[in-house]
Amino acid sequence: MRYKKFIPVIALLFAGFVSSAQEKANIADPRLHIKLPDVKGDSVALASLKGKVVLLDFWASWCMPCRAANKKLVKIYDKYKAQGFEIYSVSVDDEKRDWVKAIAKDKITWLQVNDPKTWGAQSAVNWNISVLPTTFLINKKGDVVVVDPEEKKLETAIKDLLQE
Amino acid sequence: MKKIFFIAMMVLGVMYSQAQFTKASLQATGLTCAMCSNAINKALLQVPFVESVKSDIKNSAFNIVFKQGQEVEIDALRKAVEDAGFSVGNLKMTGNFQEVKKENDKHIEIGKEVFHFLNVSEQVLNGEQTIMVVDKNFLTAKQFKKFSSASKMSCVQTGKAASCCVKDGIAADARVYHVTI
Repeated sequence: MRYKKFIPVIALLFAGFVSSAQEKANIADPRLHIKLPDVKGDSVALASLKGKVVLLDFWASWCMPCRAANKKLVKIYDKYKAQGFEIYSVSVDDEKRDWVKAIAKDKITWLQVNDPKTWGAQSAVNWNISVLPTTFLINKKGDVVVVDPEEKKLETAIKDLLQE
Repeated sequence: MKKIFFIAMMVLGVMYSQAQFTKASLQATGLTCAMCSNAINKALLQVPFVESVKSDIKNSAFNIVFKQGQEVEIDALRKAVEDAGFSVGNLKMTGNFQEVKKENDKHIEIGKEVFHFLNVSEQVLNGEQTIMVVDKNFLTAKQFKKFSSASKMSCVQTGKAASCCVKDGIAADARVYHVTI
């Protein structure tokens, strides 16, 4: 299951990079650009987080596996946020109310933006999201280094990337 | 003579049982959260007679709209869901019915398809109606057991007419959709 998700995403992310297949997907790439409103309505760009270790997370309030993942992410976020770790969560919820309620219930304090329209959400299309949740671990340079890290690997990878 | 023939055709035309399906609501089941996967959505959009698919989060269903005037093959919807790695948990088909006389545990030809109504009362269907498919692999095993016990005919288990309705002029290899309303 993990590999199934991994391969198409990587394939897409590299599809446009004709010059060098070795080049990593970077959040500065205009095709991967995400700038969406947070709960208050203020736009936050993913690219503005360059310099931090970022977990880009696609989810929805009705996605139960996403909600279970949130619980684990709360602990990881609390542990590493002071060292320069950030989470940028894109919810594809159609109903803003449901999204806001889930943020409160799951005690989420990291960056949350909303891209309604479920599978039609442009950010989800651009990042070739086929299942929720899907996460991308991004280093300080803005390169995507891991797709869908498992819980244990995520923490190790965050630690390593924070040292870079 | 021509005139009589024409009138006869008109009358027959009106009498002819017809149904044009326009949309459907489909629930999928699987080991993982069906709504969390875009695979079903994508697979349904690949079906030639499907116009659009929208996720109905509140009802955990996919709302499917069919292309206008196109022949709808119910099995193609099931196949799409199964190819995406899921199963159909519930399928409700909505369409415009014309003089469809339903009787409990009886077969009726509607357009080109054969339908077998279960757990229904005798009634003539006209206008927009929604029917639920109760064939094997269109609902949970438990629900199927409940509906399939409503008929002693073998087609309930196989979905094929076989010998159960040859006397009604239905070919043995005809697909029989079991439905309720």
